[in-house]
Amino acid sequence: MGSRESILAKLKANKPEAIDLPKIDLNVFNEDLDLIKEFTKKVEIVGGSVIEISNDEEVLTHLKKTFPNTKINFSNLDNTQSFNTIDLSTIKNPRNLEDLDVLVLESKIGVAENGAVWLDDNDIPIRVLPFITKHLAIVISKNNLVPYMHEAYKSLSNHNSSYGVFLSGPSKTADIEQSLVIGAHGALSLTVFLK
Amino acid sequence: MSHPKLASIFNKDEKRVDWHDKALWFVRHKRDMSAHSVKGWEELRNLGHGIKAHMLSNLDNYLIQFEENALKNGVQVHWAANGKEHNQIVHKILKEHNAKKIVKSKSMLTEECHLNPYLEADGMEVIDTDLGERIVQLAKEPPSHIVLPAIHKDRHQVDELFQEHLGTKPCDGDPQYLTGEARKHLREKFIQADAAITGVNFAIADTGGFVVCTNEGNADMGAHLAPVHIACMGVEKIIPKQEHLGVFLRLLARSATGQPITTYSSHFKKPQPGSKMHIVIVDNGRSEQLSRPDFRASLHCIRCGACMNTCPIYRRSGGHSYDATIPGPIGSILSPGKDLTKYSSLPFASTLCGSCSDVCPVKIDIHSQLYKWRQIITKNTPQPFVKKQSMKFMGKLFAKPSQYETVGKIARWSLRNLPKSVINSKPNTWGKARDLPIGPKQSFDDWYKERENNKKSNDQ
Ligand code: SF4
Repeated sequence: MGSRESILAKLKANKPEAIDLPKIDLNVFNEDLDLIKEFTKKVEIVGGSVIEISNDEEVLTHLKKTFPNTKINFSNLDNTQSFNTIDLSTIKNPRNLEDLDVLVLESKIGVAENGAVWLDDNDIPIRVLPFITKHLAIVISKNNLVPYMHEAYKSLSNHNSSYGVFLSGPSKTADIEQSLVIGAHGALSLTVFLK
Repeated sequence: MSHPKLASIFNKDEKRVDWHDKALWFVRHKRDMSAHSVKGWEELRNLGHGIKAHMLSNLDNYLIQFEENALKNGVQVHWAANGKEHNQIVHKILKEHNAKKIVKSKSMLTEECHLNPYLEADGMEVIDTDLGERIVQLAKEPPSHIVLPAIHKDRHQVDELFQEHLGTKPCDGDPQYLTGEARKHLREKFIQADAAITGVNFAIADTGGFVVCTNEGNADMGAHLAPVHIACMGVEKIIPKQEHLGVFLRLLARSATGQPITTYSSHFKKPQPGSKMHIVIVDNGRSEQLSRPDFRASLHCIRCGACMNTCPIYRRSGGHSYDATIPGPIGSILSPGKDLTKYSSLPFASTLCGSCSDVCPVKIDIHSQLYKWRQIITKNTPQPFVKKQSMKFMGKLFAKPSQYETVGKIARWSLRNLPKSVINSKPNTWGKARDLPIGPKQSFDDWYKERENNKKSNDQ
C-alpha cells in the first residue's frame, strides 16, 4: 500500500464521528464601520500612507514628487506612458525586475478592518512585481472598500485567479530584539491612493 | 535532558531571562489590545474551533477533494507517511530539476522533519530566508519560538553573527542596519535560487489552493523567482472552503503579534507560466494523534504562538528548554504523543493557570490536555523515588485532618523560628530560588472560623 492510501485509511479509521460545520452569522461582527476612516487608520497603523485623489494623474504627480530621481518605473494605470520606463512584455525572466524602483497597481478590494488590499494575476502582470519593487503604490476606488475579511472573500468568489495576495503595508520584520524595521524583503514603502 | 535541567541552563543569565519574559509579555499585551478591538472575537474563536473540529471529523475526504482540485490546477501532489519520506520526496523533486540552491521560507514542518541537514548532506545549499530563521541558521541552532524564531538572541549576538558570516561592519546591534544587510544578502540568494520551499498556513479543499502568510515577503520572493515551488503541509492544514479563510486570517496575526493581518497573505493556486508547483502532504504522527480523543483537538493549532507568549513557564525557561520543534504549551501536548519517554517532563512545565487556553484562537483546551498527559505519564513512566514517597505521604496526611493540623502548626512555627540555613537547606526544593515567607501564627482554618464568628456577632 502506498503512503497516500495508508494515510487516508488511518485518518478514516481514527477520525471522530461527523461534526457539523458551524454557520457563520456575520451580524455578530457588524459595527457599522466608516469604511474610509477605518481603512485609512489601518493602512497607517501597518506602516503605509493613504492619499485621497480625484483622478489618476494625481497619482503620478505625487509619485514623481516623492521619488524624483527613480530610474525604473512601471504603472498599470491607463495613459501612463510618460511614467513607464520599462516594457513588461520584454521581461523574459522575473529576475530582471531586480532594479525596479516604483510600481503602481490597481486593486479591486480593500479591507477596512486591516488595511489590506487584494491583488491578483489580473492586476499583476508578473507575480513577483509587488514584492521585488522598492516602492509600491496602489490605487483603489472608495467604492471598493469592504468592512471585514468575510465580505472580501464573498466578492472574491466571483474572481478566478491562479494567484492572489492580501497585502497590508510595506514589508517588515521585528526579528532583531523585537525592534520593528520597515523593509525586509518586499517593498520598502506603500502608498495607497483612494479615489 | 529534561525540561527543568535545560531550563536551569537558560536561567543562569538572569538579565536575559528578564528580557525574554518582558518581550514576550509585550507581544501578549499587543495581542490583547488587538483581540479586544474586534467585535465578536469570542464568536470568531468559536467558529475557528468549530471549523477545525468539523474538518478533523472528515479529514480523509477533504484531503481527497483538495488533491483532486490541486491536480486540476496543474499542481503535483505527493504524500509522505513520515519525516523521512517527506525528505526523500523533496530531495527527489529537487534532483529532477537539477536544483542546487534552495531558498526556504518559514515552515515548522520542514524543521520537524529535519529537512535542511538531509538536503545539505547531498551538497545542496538551503537558505532560510525569514530573518529570524536566518539568524538561528547562522548560529546553527533550531528556532526557539514558532513565530519569533530568534527571540532568545539579543541584537549584539546578531551583530556578531552577521560580522562573521555576512561580513557586516560592527554596528552596536543597530537593527535597521542589520536588517538592511540581511535584505541585500538574501536578495542575492533569491535571485540565484533554483527552487523555493515554503510551508502552508491553510490549504483549501474546495479550490485546491493554499495560503502562506509572512510579514517579510520572503515566501513570495522565493516562490515567484525560482522555477520550482515546493509547498510542504501537515494533513491538518486543510479547511473546507475559501470563505473560511475569513475566520482564520482574522484570528491568526492578531493572536500572533497583535497585527490586524500579516503583511502578505498569499493565495497560491496554479503555477505561474513556465514554472512548476508541488505539494507534499505529510502525516508524521498526526493520524496517530487523531486517534486520541483527549488530545485530538491539538490538531486544531494554527501555529500563532500566543500560548507561548502568555505562558509564565515558557517566558522564563526559553523555547530551547523544551527540546522539541514546537515548544511551549501546545508543543508539550504534541511532543509526548510522539515519544512519551523522551518528553515526559514537558506536560509538567506548566502552572496549569489556563492562560494558554484563554488566548488560543481556536479554543484548544490546552491546560486540561496537559493535565491529562500528566496522569498518563505518572502511571506509565517511573517517577523519582522521593517524589513518589512524598506524594504517598501527603495523600495520607491530607486524609486525616487532625494530623494535618498538627503538621501545619509545626510548619508555621518552623518558618517563624528556624534559621534560614535550615529552612532553605537542600531537601527543600521550594527554597531553591526563593525565600520562604514568615509563617503566620494562625492557620487558615482558624482564621476562617474567627472571621465567621465575627460576622455572626456583627450581624446580631
Ligand atoms: S495552540 Fe492555540 S495559541 Fe498555541 S500556537 Fe496553536 S493556535 Fe496558537
